[in-house]
Order: sequence, then structure tokens, then C-alpha cells
Amino acid sequence: MDSQCSTPVSSLPRYKRSPSRRSKSRWEPLPEEKSVDKPVSISNDVVKYDGWEKKPPSLNSESKWNALNNMKFSLPEKKLPSKNTQRPAKRQHLAGGLNAANNDASSDSDKEQSLTAYYSSAISIANTPEEKKRRESRSKRFEKGQGHRAEINYLKQKNAGAGNLYSRRASALMISKSFDDSGSKAVEDIDWDALTVKGTCQEIEKRYLRLTSAPDPSSVRPEEVLEKALLMVQNSQKNYLYKCDQLKSIRQDLTVQRIQNQLTVKVYETHARLSLEAGDLPEYNQCQSQLKTLYAEGIEGCDMEFAAYNLLCVILHSNNNRDLVSSMSRLTEGSKKDKAVKHALAVRAAVTSGNYVMFFRLYEDAPNLNSCLMDLYVEKMRYRAVSCMSRSYRPTIPVSYIARVLGFCRTSDGNDEDSDGSGLVECLEWMKAHGACLASDDGGEIQLDTKASSSSLYMPEPEDAVAHGDANLAVNDFLTRTSL
Amino acid sequence: MAYLSMGEAHRRITEYLNRFSDAVSFQDGASLKQLLSVSSNSPSLLSLADSLNVFQDANRLIKQSEKYSQFGEIIAPFFRCMQSYRTGNLLDAYHAFEKAANAFLPEFRNWESAWALEALYVVAYEIRILAERADRELAFNGKSPEKLKGAGSFLMKVFGVLAGKGPKRVGALYVTCQLFKIYFKLGTVNLCRSVIRSIETARIFDFEEFPKRDKVTYMYYTGRLEVFNENFPAADHKLSYALMHCHPHNEANIRMILKYLIPVKLSIGILPKDWLLEKYGLVEYNNVIQALKRGDLRLLREALQEHEDRFLRSGVFLVLEKLELQVYQRLLKKIYIIQKQRDPSKAHQMKLEVIVKALKWLEIDMDLDEVECIVAILIYKNLVKGYFAHKSKVVVLSKQDPFPKLNSKPVNS
Repeated sequence: MDSQCSTPVSSLPRYKRSPSRRSKSRWEPLPEEKSVDKPVSISNDVVKYDGWEKKPPSLNSESKWNALNNMKFSLPEKKLPSKNTQRPAKRQHLAGGLNAANNDASSDSDKEQSLTAYYSSAISIANTPEEKKRRESRSKRFEKGQGHRAEINYLKQKNAGAGNLYSRRASALMISKSFDDSGSKAVEDIDWDALTVKGTCQEIEKRYLRLTSAPDPSSVRPEEVLEKALLMVQNSQKNYLYKCDQLKSIRQDLTVQRIQNQLTVKVYETHARLSLEAGDLPEYNQCQSQLKTLYAEGIEGCDMEFAAYNLLCVILHSNNNRDLVSSMSRLTEGSKKDKAVKHALAVRAAVTSGNYVMFFRLYEDAPNLNSCLMDLYVEKMRYRAVSCMSRSYRPTIPVSYIARVLGFCRTSDGNDEDSDGSGLVECLEWMKAHGACLASDDGGEIQLDTKASSSSLYMPEPEDAVAHGDANLAVNDFLTRTSL
Repeated sequence: MAYLSMGEAHRRITEYLNRFSDAVSFQDGASLKQLLSVSSNSPSLLSLADSLNVFQDANRLIKQSEKYSQFGEIIAPFFRCMQSYRTGNLLDAYHAFEKAANAFLPEFRNWESAWALEALYVVAYEIRILAERADRELAFNGKSPEKLKGAGSFLMKVFGVLAGKGPKRVGALYVTCQLFKIYFKLGTVNLCRSVIRSIETARIFDFEEFPKRDKVTYMYYTGRLEVFNENFPAADHKLSYALMHCHPHNEANIRMILKYLIPVKLSIGILPKDWLLEKYGLVEYNNVIQALKRGDLRLLREALQEHEDRFLRSGVFLVLEKLELQVYQRLLKKIYIIQKQRDPSKAHQMKLEVIVKALKWLEIDMDLDEVECIVAILIYKNLVKGYFAHKSKVVVLSKQDPFPKLNSKPVNS
């Protein structure tokens, strides 16, 4: 989910969205090749602000503040303009916005705040002595690099000009830019090793703002804060989209600081589980691939749980026998003994042979979130089962039996007695939706007429398919609910 | 290594250069191919490599005469390849050979007849082998192995050169097979499809014109692809062709073909004789076949578990697992036969609980619901003719041929 500001586009100055989708996950920074020798000229900074309007808008305009922040972070690989005399004007936006924002440190997280508040608190460039000191030590660090004298001197000059946000901002960005004059870098291209700073932001709740250039350390949260943030998300009662947004923000802060440890694993595991529950497979796959790398580096986590999910994904989603066989052959002896993995393997066997009784028993009694993945196959399996039954049974089958073996009677205590009859009702609806021929027998029990059904069964088109499987999370709904 | 003097080194290098240029002048494909077989470790090539490492300035020698320098683009990198190969530097050897190969290809294209086809085969073979070794070296050093992929790209170029009307086109199948080997090794088997399409649909190619050896290899790989896709009749046809035309003394190749053909045959209801398995050392299939004969589900499951890794690696696991249904069919048939002996008039009705009991004797614990499901599946797939009466929990079998044989057709999916 890209959280470019949801301001209606018309109120923003025109700017181009960051174009390319990277084939690699954007959470994997690519190593920077080498520093370029030529000193970076200040005018390069301008690229970030290309597209700004020429006149400085009013300082208190919050929507422009949004625009500023979006501008800064959405850097397409655009061509450098040779010069741009507009920077001074832009700086003033910052000044205005920042002053307004400083008090928002403890945002009231129970309301969907205006994005403004989030952005400003996240990116506040504190006008504090600590920050100045930090900037100086940063510039000293880069002094050691080659050929950067020119910029450092320039910066010092600028800093000496003091007091105005413009120069401070310029120097911060200057230093944090990679020493290359194209100036249009995305998260992965920046030399994180040189720039990895410890974050200082203390926000437990922080919206996700996709970075396309180096971040300001005061907008990045250190590990301790991120732990709290994760806890907050885990305990939050809010909806999936909110949590997803928060988690992406946490993930970004981790990536930017090159933190790859148990916390990182926990964050990705949390996000993956949430996506599974919400039926958001693309997000799940992103997290799963990160987890694979992290586990492979020996970081501890629930690797068996996720091995099972992985297997189930292959089983239930690809029709490709080769993928299935290679996933199975990659399992270690140890993992085959794990309960969740064993369950996944049993599901595999049931799906391959069409054994619906086994499938729904496994569905009923699934460890972790295995049932969420099985959910995606339930419809198909039921259809296969009823088709099979229609051909093999004569003359009829009681629908109550079908409801029982095809998992319609889900009870919490594990036995499959349909105590309140709701399972039967659901099953009947399902049958009707799939063209089954039903009839009541003498005892009043509803039976499936197998012979007639064998030619009348069909798979209906899915209606109102929503990506998350939860109609509450439909995109339109989200957009209308978010206020500015 | 015995001491090699500069003079001797000079002499050997010049000798190679002469042989090379003579081979081209006289269109002597057999000689040319020997001059390019890096991995053959032939004494003459090894001594060439040693000479190059001693002499160190072979390029000067190449430039000495027009008859050498005209092939400089091929020979100079080839020499570097030999030097690196000799010192065990396989990544560099690959890179150099790739250069030489890329220079060789346009020359080959310009030569009129197909005299150099054997040499081209060697180039195609060597580039694959050297790429594999380079990748091993890369992986060993923790880097990502991508040379084999590069070799694949080169071979596509070669294919392009051969895909014409002239006599060189008979080489296309060899190159195709090298590509298959690469794709199978890399696991990018889906890439085979485009190559297959090029060979099978192009009008310039006539399958019968290709050399027999290449046809056998081609059918072996395409047969394996059919196994992956579970197209058993097609797999049977192709693998059987490969088997029939494979040289009877080439036991290793026959074994490879049988490894895939046996599961295919089993899936269409044909069992091999015991001696076949013994002769070619395919004992992993012994118990599978016994289980099919006896209707012994427990034995099948044990056999699958015992050799699980091997079956998974070769990709036949799923095929063998599917044999379970045939094993169930055999079991039910045995029950039927016993029932018929006891009371012919009632034999066509089989109680579900009897089947459950039989499975319990095999130490397989399945309850009524599950067995009912299996029976439903068997009927659905025409392994059992009849129907199931739910109320009475009885399988009512057809009076005629209740357990139809597969007759070389796979089980309905």
C-alpha cells in the first residue's frame, strides 16, 4: 500500500510519482558501488524540488506541507535541471510547517489524524543543540571521504549562516545524499552503510511514508521505540489497513537502520500473520520472502510455522507439480517432524488425491494459521467433493451428511455435531448456488439427488470479489473514510 | 611436471597453430574438434596449456603469420582458456572460452558446408561443461552462479545459426539437447517449451533427418517433461521410443530412461518383469510393484517413504503416489473374489465395514467416513464400476467387469 498522501491530487503541485516498480523488494538496499569523485554542487539538491510552484505558498497551508513531504520523498529518476532558483522559496514552507508541528509528539492515535500531523511530527527537524551537534559529527564523518572537501566547506559556510532552516535542511540533505550527482536515488540505491544512523524519533505510532532518498535520523525510530511500536500494533484493535500501514513504517525504519535481528523477524512474522488473516496474499508473499532470507541467516523465529505456510501456498496455488515436488524435497528431516509442517504435508496429500473427508478434518483442526491458507481452497474442494459424490452415490445422499463431512458444521468444541442447524442451512445455500438438485424425502430430510445433480452442478462466478476477502476493507470505503 | 624449455614451449604452441589453420584449410572437422575439447584433458591439449603458461607471449606467435592471425579472435581467448583451465581457475576459463566461442560462431556461419559441425558440437558441449564448473566455483566462493544461464544464451545463438535451409540444420537437435540439459540442471524447465516449439513447428526441420543419437536424447527429455505434466500416454510414447532406439549396450542410458518409464507404465497399468528391475538396478521400484500386485496399501506407503528423497529428486514421487488408487482397486477386487467364492449371489454387494476391516489387517486405521470417501473416488474415476448406497453403507458393484483394467490408459483425473 503506497501511502502517498491521499490529498486529492488537484491541490498538490504537480509532481511525478516515483515510477519504477523494482523487481527486488524495496526493503533490500542494494550496495552502492563507489563514491563519485566530483563534489556535488548544491544545485543538484534542486532535483528533489523539481516541479514546485514558483511562488511560496502561505506558511500555514497544511496541504502544502503535505506536498513538501511528498515531494522530498518521491524522487523519480528524473533529469537534473541545470539550475533552479526556487529553493529559497521552498525552505520557507518547511519553516512554517515545522513550527506548527513540533507539539504533535504524542499524537492522539485513536482518531485517524490528518496526515499533516503525522508527517510533521515524523519529520520534525528539531532546532535543538543536539541536532546541530549531530549534524556536525555527520559532516565530520564524511570529511574523511575523498573529494568532498568542497561540499563540506560549503556546508559549514551555510551552517554558519545559521538560524535558518533552509541551510540546515540543505546541509542535512547534502550530507545524507550519496555522493553522486544524479541525486535521484531510491531507498535501495543509497549507501546505507555510510549513512546508517541511529534513529532518534520517539514516535510509537507513525504513518508509513515511502522514502526515496536518505532519511533524517530524527524521523527514524531506534530499536527500542520500534519494539514498543510493534507491541502497540499487536495489541491494537484497529483494522487491517491501519496495522499494515504501521507495520510498513516499522519495516522501513528497520531497513534504513540495517537492523536485522529477532525484532525484524518478529515484525515480519506479525505482518505476515495479519496478511494471512486478512487474505492479503501479495503482502504475505513480501513478508514471507524477507523471512526466508532472515531465517537463512540463522536468526531465530517461527521458521517451522512459516515453512508450513510456504508449503500450503505452493500446494494450494500453483498447478505446477515441479514447484510442489521441489518444495517438498527441500524440507529437512527435522522440519518434517514439526506439527505444522506435518499438517501441511497431510493437506497436500489430501488435495492431490481429492480426499475431501481428510481435507476438512485437517481444516477443522489446523495449527497456527494453516486454516487461513486452506480457506483459499475450500470452495474448490467442496465442488470436487460434490461432483464426485454425484457420480458415485445412488440414489441420494442426505445433505446433513454432506454438511458434516464438508466442514459446514464448524463447532468450537471440535465435534462436528451441527447443534444449531446453521451448518445445514449454510450447506443448503451452497448447494443451491452450485446447481445441486435437492429434494425432501418422506421423513422431511433434505436429500441431494445425485443423478440429476451430476449434470446440473456448476461453479458460479465469484461476485464482489474483494482483495482482502473482507468487504469492510474495500478500497473505496477506505478512501472515503480517510479525512484530511 | 617435467621441465619444459622455452624452445619446446614455442614449438608446441606453433604446432597447435599449424594444426588449427590446416584443419580449417582442409575442412577437417575431426581434427578441428579435437583442438577445441578443453575438458577432454587430452595429453596434447594439456601440454599446450603447460607450454602457454611457460611461454607467456603466445599472442606474438599468433600475429607472426597471417594463417594464424586470421583466427586470432578465436585462438587468443582459447589459449587464455587453456591456461586458466590448467591452473584450476575455472571462472576465468569459462569467460575466455565464451569469448572464443563467440568468435568461432560467425566463422562457422561463413564456412560453406557442414564440415565443421562436429567441432561446433564440441564448442556447444564445452561451453556447458565449463559453465557448470565455473558456477560450482562461484557457489563455493559464496557468489551467485550465473554462468550456466549465460551458456544457455550462447546456445540459443548457435541454434539460430543452424536454423536454416542448408545442411547445417541437422545440428539443431544436438544443440536443443544441450539446452535441455542446461534447463533441467537450472530447474528452468519451462524454457524448454520455446525450444521445442522451434524444433517441432519449423518446416525446415524433419525429425527423421536428425542423427539417431540426438533423437533418442530428445525423446528422453521431452518424455520427462510429459511425466512432469502427467501426460502419461505421451510420456509413454516418447520414453518408449527412446528406449527402443537406444543402443542396447548403453546400459547407463537405458537405466535413465527406465527410471522414468517404469512409473509411467505403472500408471497405465503395465507392470515390468522382475528381471528388468534387477538388470538395471532399479530396485527402489520393487516394493511399489509388489504393492500393486497384492493390493497392499501399507507396502506402497512404506516404499514411498523409504525412497522419498530419491523419488522427490527425480520428480516421480507424485506419479507413484497416485498409484494408491490402483492399490485400493486391487484390494477391493481381492475382497470381491473372496466373497464370490463364499456366496456368488451376494458377491456384488460389498459392505463398507468389510473394507474397513481389511484395511485394519493391513494396519491402516481409517474410519467409515474416510473409506466411504475413497470408495466414492474409486467409482468416480472408473476404477470401480457401480455405485455407493449411503443409507445401507454398501458398495453395489456392477455385475459385469466391476474392476475394469486400465488398458494402457491412465486413471481418469
